[in-house]
Amino acid sequence: MSEGKYPINLWVNEERYAKLQAAGLADMCKEAMAGLKVIYVYANDAQKDKILQVIPQAKFDSATTKSIELIPRKQKDKIFDLVIQKKSIDVLDDFLKTF
Amino acid sequence: MAAIGHGRKPIVERILEPAEAVKKIQGLPQVPIRSQIANEVIGISYGFFSPLEGFMNSADVDSVCKKMRLASGVVWSIPIVFDMSDAEIGKYGITPGKSVVLTYMGNPMALFEVEEIFTYDKKEMAQAIYGTTEDKHPGCARTYKYAEKFIGGKITLVNRPKINEPYGPYFITPLEMRKKFEERGWKRIVAHQTRNVPHTGHEWLMKGAWSQTYAELPIDKPYVGVLVNAIIGEKRKGDYIDEAIILTQDELRKSGYFGDHNHLTSLTFWDMRYAGPKEAVFHSILRTNLGLTHHMFGRDHAGVGTYYGAYDAHNLLATIQDELDITPVYSMNWLYCPHCGEVTSEGLCNHKSEWQKFSGTLIRSIVDDGVKPPRLIFRPEVFDLVMECAEKYGFGSPFVTDEYLEKRTPVFSIEPLKA
Repeated sequence: MSEGKYPINLWVNEERYAKLQAAGLADMCKEAMAGLKVIYVYANDAQKDKILQVIPQAKFDSATTKSIELIPRKQKDKIFDLVIQKKSIDVLDDFLKTF
Repeated sequence: MAAIGHGRKPIVERILEPAEAVKKIQGLPQVPIRSQIANEVIGISYGFFSPLEGFMNSADVDSVCKKMRLASGVVWSIPIVFDMSDAEIGKYGITPGKSVVLTYMGNPMALFEVEEIFTYDKKEMAQAIYGTTEDKHPGCARTYKYAEKFIGGKITLVNRPKINEPYGPYFITPLEMRKKFEERGWKRIVAHQTRNVPHTGHEWLMKGAWSQTYAELPIDKPYVGVLVNAIIGEKRKGDYIDEAIILTQDELRKSGYFGDHNHLTSLTFWDMRYAGPKEAVFHSILRTNLGLTHHMFGRDHAGVGTYYGAYDAHNLLATIQDELDITPVYSMNWLYCPHCGEVTSEGLCNHKSEWQKFSGTLIRSIVDDGVKPPRLIFRPEVFDLVMECAEKYGFGSPFVTDEYLEKRTPVFSIEPLKA
């Protein structure tokens, strides 16, 4: 559901960038915040609600960024690995099936 | 000259020296208190909460809830109450007209001259202060946790708190604060309320507020300072640890983003109520007592969730501005504009479609993902210090964990009282 409204920011560190390059997906990165690399995975309303329900630490930043934040690194790594595996950012349904 | 605080009342410290204190508390029943009450005892005793002299009686509570004023007519927005169960009242023999000793960490902290024991409808209190009775509002939840009775009466500190490292330099009382301002030659001082590690959005909020506060003053000398006043109170898992908050705020000065001539970091003990507009009024009172002339307020000041509108606090402050001796400075958000290549104000930049807004939460997610944020949005000295604090104080994490809550060094301790 890449047309969803609520981004999850997968910030691309060196390890993630190496994986993206190896998979030929380095172009998937956008540039944000004065030079950071990021992959935006978008959630629709239902996915956002489900994520906030199954990952209690997660928070929707309604005030400023309108993004879903504070998803633990382990879970974000899972989402990132699905992006690599599917070569797509449309991975949240698959991610949510793991709960 | 007397230091004048909120309500144009002189700031009076309610503190006994040890020799007198030992005599005064001899033989009195000892009543242990929790951290919220200990924080408020400090607030009352040193004059942070002036003109309060103790925990509120029923007339004050009722007047604060219904009129946002103390019974004396002075503006006040949040009840400062001492709660206790009937069983404990019986156990400690608490009776109006008699005094007890409040103890914290097992040692005497304050003399409590009990004047009144009363009840108050907690839902009514929640609705009046928070504008809601929903228990998911953290202020309401705190109210509902109060025991069934409230006790009003005067407080006198009998044992000064020992402020533990690294917080020592940052606990500056209202009377001491005025001396600091005088030493620096500041004519105007603007408060920056915080509970966060600063990103450059915060830094520019302060710089913008400094500029607004400077206004028509001459520029031959530094006449305006920013006082960072960090609120230190109950921690929740996932918050930044206190050590990281206070030290990184000061790091902005130490690393030259500000200087001694325009920046000072301090702390106040207070458990946030997230009361939005009512908390904004309370913050105005607190900072008036600290001797400040101006107070910065952003959007949704001290709010939570979607309970308050972005400008509710500004609107409420406007209704009582004549009675507050502190001038509000309203601040718009700062954001990163890739077109400008800089952090800028949403009130200035018109590349709206390119704006990249950032928040503490977003920066936290960057750090969580193992990425060092760029210096334009998070100063490298601040980042390095956050990581250092994680190792030194946070048991490996800059954020509050169960281990931190269990093993951290308290911000202050009450030690055995010696004459």
